[in-house]
Amino acid sequence: MIRDNARVLAAAFTSALADLRAIYTWRTWSFAWLSRILAQVAFYAVIGRLLGSAERTQYLLVGNAVFIAALVSLLVCASTAWERQAGTLPLLVAAPTSPFPLFVGRSAQWLLDGTMCASIALFVLSPLFGLPMPMPRALLALPLIALVSWSTYCFGLVLSAFVLRKVEVRNLVSGLSSLTLMLVCGVQVPTTFWPAPFPQLAEVLPLTHGLGAVRDLLSGAPAGVVVGGAALELCVATGWLVVAGLAFRHLAESGRRDGSIEFGD
Amino acid sequence: MITVFGAAVWFQGLQMRRVANLSALVNTPLFTLALVAIMVHSGRSDLAPYAVVGATVIAVWNMAIVESGGIIDADRGQGTLEALISTPAPLALVVLGRTVTVTVISLLSLVESVIVARLVFGVVVDVHHGWLFAVTLVLTAVSMAMTASALAGIFVLSRSARTFQNALSYPFYLLSGAVVPAPLLPEWLQPITKVVFLSWSTDLIRDCLRPGAVPNALTRLAVVAGLGLAAMVAGVWVLRRILERVRTTGAVSFA
Repeated sequence: MIRDNARVLAAAFTSALADLRAIYTWRTWSFAWLSRILAQVAFYAVIGRLLGSAERTQYLLVGNAVFIAALVSLLVCASTAWERQAGTLPLLVAAPTSPFPLFVGRSAQWLLDGTMCASIALFVLSPLFGLPMPMPRALLALPLIALVSWSTYCFGLVLSAFVLRKVEVRNLVSGLSSLTLMLVCGVQVPTTFWPAPFPQLAEVLPLTHGLGAVRDLLSGAPAGVVVGGAALELCVATGWLVVAGLAFRHLAESGRRDGSIEFGD
Repeated sequence: MITVFGAAVWFQGLQMRRVANLSALVNTPLFTLALVAIMVHSGRSDLAPYAVVGATVIAVWNMAIVESGGIIDADRGQGTLEALISTPAPLALVVLGRTVTVTVISLLSLVESVIVARLVFGVVVDVHHGWLFAVTLVLTAVSMAMTASALAGIFVLSRSARTFQNALSYPFYLLSGAVVPAPLLPEWLQPITKVVFLSWSTDLIRDCLRPGAVPNALTRLAVVAGLGLAAMVAGVWVLRRILERVRTTGAVSFA
């Protein structure tokens, strides 16, 4: 059972990498996509200059650079919906293996893409905006960014199970979700800026604790504080992964029962 | 000509009834909250109108590149481009009619943004030069529609229009001075902002929100219109080239 699922996961990941190669050439990734990502982070960071505050500039730079990992990972909503559009969803549900490991691996290209884009944005733009990056300590931001990618990906999988029934709204769901994370998870302003229940909501959303850990890491907080933030982000990721598993099981079972796998809205 | 233009406007209006085509307007309140929150949290509520302008520019430009920019690409994907170019109606006029509709609808984002800023943060956006503000908005909309028509043609030449639609978002928000005026950008970027009509528009709009006199208003309005017209001329030229090419090769759906 575990070996079967691992095999499915590996095959799905191979397919995900093929998708990435089909979407981008190295030129379009570097000059079109990555440029846009750098511009996005710079767009928010430069607001700090308008405010005349180096501290705000650095806060916005770190928040928006790490947010890129979440933003790209949420593309899982759109790419999962491609299975419906390609007409392959009924075949996947009819296969003897569970569709969940397949969907976990099927969009994993965004994990790599998101982690790389966010890391490059953080390390390339930091010197331009005067953000100190203490080495080698700052390199630990890389696994933290990967963790944020993973936790947001797990959250995105839950949304994907919904989007598979309403394919038309895939980009809308992905956009609204990413903006919600941007608003409440401490990207532009601290989570405590918003009234209840938003700070409490942020505690169970991806990005909040991972981003906090990156901020702690760069500000020289004790290792225990950084590890604590990372552990909380991992817990949030695991929670969303479990919910995603249940959501996909429900999708497959209810779809088989009412015939909505291929003929949902 | 008027009938063709009117039909194009009407057709696009019907297309825009789908909520998926209005995602920029759905996102506008959240962008407004994010940008105004930055100003308010920093104790600079006086800059909140900049955030309102920024959220509007994001929505208008986003709809221009995604909805308007994808018009010909979508027709090609649906197999309706062949029928469209075989009619005597000029394709550029049809595209312009459709982009005008998208642009007018996208301006609703300004109303959304002003209301959200008012309701959530109590921010009041005062317009001190009403006529100039209105003329700037109209000229900006016209220039945006013309620029979007050009993009619709240019995107057809790319392997993946989506890649370029994504790539043209934030770099233009930055260059258009959507939130932060061009003089605060790095010096090497500032000459580029001069050829982006939106940077002239956003500067004018911000000046309209201040009580003092607006310097060189007519010249600046002329630049907004001129840059939009230049984009339209380029767009018509690109469309002609595309039509010549696909009529010669017969590869309408595979241009």
